[in-house]
Amino acid sequence: MKHIKNKYDLVVVGGGHAGIEASLIAHKRGIKTILVSMDKNSVGRTSCNPAVGGLAKGQMVKEVDVLGGIMGFFADLSTLQSKTLNKSKGRSVWSPRSQIDKNLYEKIAQEYIKEKNLDVFEGEVVSLDVKNNSVSGVFLKDGSKIVCSSVILTCGTFLNGLIHIGSKQINAGRYGEKRAEGITENLNSLGLKSGRLKTGTPPRIKRSSVDWKMGDAGFGDKIPSPLSYRTENFKPKDEPCFSFRTNENTHDIIMNNLSSSAMYSGKNMATGPRYCPSIEDKVYKFNQNPSHVLQLEPEWSKSEQIYVNGFSTSLEEKIQLNSLKTVKGLENVEFIRPGYAIEYDFFYPSQLKNTLESKAVSGLFMAGQINGTSGYEEASSQGIMAGINASCFILKEDPLVLKRNDAYIGVLVDDLILKDTNEPYRMFTSRAEYRLQLRSSNADQRLLEISKKYKLLNEKTLDKLSEKIEKTLDVVNYLNENNINPEAINKRLNKLKEKEIGEPTRMANILKRPGVLIADLGVEVLELKNNLSKHMKNEILFEAETIIKYSGYINRQKEEIDKIKIYENMIIPDNFDYNKIKSLSNESREKFINIKPQTVGQAQRINGIRPSDISILLVYLKRPFHVK
Amino acid sequence: MTIVACSTPPGTSGIAVVRISGKDAIKNVSNFIKDCPFNEKSPGSKICLLVDKDGLIFDEAVVTSYLGPNSYTGENLVEVSCHGNPNIISKIIDLSVGGGASLAEPGEFTKRAFLNGRLDLSEAESVSAIIHSKSIAGVKAGVKNLKGGLSKKIGLIKSDLVSVVANLEFNLDISEEDLQPNLIKNSKGALSKSVETLKSCVDAFNETRMFQLGASVVILGPPNAGKSTLFNLLVNKNQSIVTEIEGTTRDVVEKNINIDGLPILLKDTAGIRESNNRVEKIGVERSLAEEKNADLVIYLNNAGRSFSKDKYIHVFNKSDINTPDGDYDVIISAKTGDNIQKLKETIYKALINEDIEHDTFLTSKRQCIAVESALKHVKDALSLLLGGDSLELIVEDINRSIDFLDSITSKTTKDDVLDEVFSSFCVGK
Ligand SMILES: Nc1nc2c(ncn2[C@@H]2O[C@H](COP(=O)(O)OP(=O)(O)OP(=O)(O)O)[C@@H](O)[C@H]2O)c(=O)[nH]1
Ligand SMILES: [Mg+2]
Repeated sequence: MKHIKNKYDLVVVGGGHAGIEASLIAHKRGIKTILVSMDKNSVGRTSCNPAVGGLAKGQMVKEVDVLGGIMGFFADLSTLQSKTLNKSKGRSVWSPRSQIDKNLYEKIAQEYIKEKNLDVFEGEVVSLDVKNNSVSGVFLKDGSKIVCSSVILTCGTFLNGLIHIGSKQINAGRYGEKRAEGITENLNSLGLKSGRLKTGTPPRIKRSSVDWKMGDAGFGDKIPSPLSYRTENFKPKDEPCFSFRTNENTHDIIMNNLSSSAMYSGKNMATGPRYCPSIEDKVYKFNQNPSHVLQLEPEWSKSEQIYVNGFSTSLEEKIQLNSLKTVKGLENVEFIRPGYAIEYDFFYPSQLKNTLESKAVSGLFMAGQINGTSGYEEASSQGIMAGINASCFILKEDPLVLKRNDAYIGVLVDDLILKDTNEPYRMFTSRAEYRLQLRSSNADQRLLEISKKYKLLNEKTLDKLSEKIEKTLDVVNYLNENNINPEAINKRLNKLKEKEIGEPTRMANILKRPGVLIADLGVEVLELKNNLSKHMKNEILFEAETIIKYSGYINRQKEEIDKIKIYENMIIPDNFDYNKIKSLSNESREKFINIKPQTVGQAQRINGIRPSDISILLVYLKRPFHVK
Repeated sequence: MTIVACSTPPGTSGIAVVRISGKDAIKNVSNFIKDCPFNEKSPGSKICLLVDKDGLIFDEAVVTSYLGPNSYTGENLVEVSCHGNPNIISKIIDLSVGGGASLAEPGEFTKRAFLNGRLDLSEAESVSAIIHSKSIAGVKAGVKNLKGGLSKKIGLIKSDLVSVVANLEFNLDISEEDLQPNLIKNSKGALSKSVETLKSCVDAFNETRMFQLGASVVILGPPNAGKSTLFNLLVNKNQSIVTEIEGTTRDVVEKNINIDGLPILLKDTAGIRESNNRVEKIGVERSLAEEKNADLVIYLNNAGRSFSKDKYIHVFNKSDINTPDGDYDVIISAKTGDNIQKLKETIYKALINEDIEHDTFLTSKRQCIAVESALKHVKDALSLLLGGDSLELIVEDINRSIDFLDSITSKTTKDDVLDEVFSSFCVGK
């Protein structure tokens, strides 16, 4: 009989972005929670690039924030530079991003956890205690056991992590950190299927070895955008990043030494992400590009350690160094550590329910890279969902499932459980069919009701967001109900090269023209005497404009959502026997059996499933026959 | 349940094919095949003798049996290719029904094939077009589509659109820099091309629609011109009343005919004139309504000729007793049948524009509506692009149009777009 360490409701394994969100939200909801990490001092570590947010990711951070998450707040407190990407493109893809001070982020995270009195235990979980297909505790390496009714696994790249630098291989979870062994084998023995994935990180170089005059400095926005609604006065430092460019000499060295790359040496390696290719991938596959951009980013304020964004690699250290030295300005570059590729175990996420709970083991939740995703924001999104749903599991409440039109987080979870990706999954705005509605500026409008229902935010933030939403709708109504006279606007329209108006016209109608903004109307539409920050006010105006400009498209999407709703609500029983449907093709049957969709809506979204398969399924579910 | 039906059009053809489909299909045919050589273990194709209940041989046929799921319907299937004599066909069907089969509903074979996953929706619709088409040309169109001509063409348009979306998505989703220099120009070019191709699909459908659904041809003219006489001649039957009294025909009389494989609904109408008779007045109104909806109007003995030429053929009748009072397209005598062949040719030519190349047919109204909707959204996207509107809205319209095209062929997924992005761009800083 092993010694019993303690009793908790929930054990969260791993203190990365997923683990932090999961444990903090459960703790906030009154669940007796413990966070177990192999190294107390690495809790909250950002292991790759020093930035939070960005395309599609900025939207997710804000969603996490409205759901009571903490990533955006930590990022705001440690921002070195804030910039909204895609400002020259469509409004729904505007995405805030912050360069962050990684050391500060980590420190703030650890202090916050202490302040909130969340229990943290330093130790290594090696297996789960599972009885009757439900989890009842975890076993630690020292032989002790923590009793609990639910576990969230957020192991990042640590499960059997293997680092590659050229032909050199190191067992590690991150550079210089021990890997975790035992959990994969334990879960496999419980019937869960695992695979291998790969990701990479670029070298870190010394600030003092760079000739900075040769780079182009990039600064943040004049009016910075915070990632958290909790942040009141956002006045980040504006430390620059610098861009440099590779050239043909750089590429020659890489091409001549491809065989030294762990990925190109013919070794049978796991798949890496296509959207974050190594420099050798870029040079090899896109050899028509004479030059690639390298972005040199500080890892903390005025740090000596510099991150070489764009130069992810698993080439031999010497080759990495020699090829970088051909870049103008990096002739004397010195490494703090080389770039590397890391392989790790993940579990096929189609084995999860839409609550992120395992279908096979009740009470077991998984979040983050263990589900085959990549990115801090993707991890934190799953962490918050797993944390909320594990607490619902413990409290026996209805779980929280976000729909694809609610949030990018809804798209993320739905995609994960319905398709088995063979590369790390990263969010893109184009993955969301309702992208126009999933703006970073309306995360509050989309998710506030849910936050209220699950008690995820404190009173103060709730009130602030409710006020913001109310004001936004006031402005929209005002613009929809009031006219503007030709004398008041024609001069401005002329200047914008827009057609003049001949008679008093609804302000909303003028706003629908692509080039016209609320500011052009010259009317004060928002009362200033309220306690919202300047940033909030800007967001209200931006949102009101967007609601009006996109109304035609959004209404059409809403109709579509209503139409498919019936399928989302059609439940397929857990024990449904696909073998009894003779007329399904073998391929479709296999997919159904593997993925076990919970609803007809999910079944429809499985890749390769045809409308005829759904018609047949409906017949067997005794629904009216109906081919779309 | 086992079903039976004759799957070739009734009537003229020399060989007819009777199909029996279902679990018991082979057992069923052994009721009327002498020494039936097939069983569930040995399917195949043989010349067999067909016998009635009393063992009397009534025909010799090529019989082919298939085992599910490797058959047209995906279940056990037997095809009996017998002589096209209607009596033989109905005898086979009677014997099969006597052995437990039931008569198939129209299209039921196709429906089973579809439900058993043997056909995609577009293929299934082609087959139903074959079943319902009354003419040879229609059958040809259906066959072409079945072989994937349609799916291929729509597939090409789709891949063009996906590539435009991929280019736009790269700019929205990956590149953090300004728009690529040629993005707008190239997208414009590609979208304009898709508009043209989609338009030509719709045009082709409208051209061939007549083969599918039949053309409406109306005979019009003053009273006593001989409209009813001509109608009777063309339908080969004394159906419409003919007298020397003006204003004989009061209501529209119609009948299906066939000119060179082209199905036509021919209509005889009341002669057009001012009248005080209430009944005749209504008749004239109906004639005018028919004129409006017709695909083609045969105008008898109207020297005025003041119409747009497309829809009208001007015919002078009674050439046996009168000479034309003007310039006519065809001069005939409905009484003697003189020059009727020439009239038929003129009707055919007027309905079918031979110049259009029908490499692809949309074979159902549903497909045509889908293509028209796709066309509308590509046009919208193009005008947003020209108006300098947001890229995501343009993508939204193009995606919408891809959705409509998907309803004809297979589904495009978000991964298809991302795959294209990853393979065409160097992604990642
Ligand atoms: N000689 C001759 N007589 C014809 C010819 N066609 C029709 N007639 C005669 O013309 C008379 C009118 O023919 P209908 O066919 O009834 O004419 P209609 O145009 O249908 O007349 P309404 O129904 O009254 O409008 C009949 O006596 C026919 O026999 C023709 O080609 N030659
Ligand atoms: Mg008549």
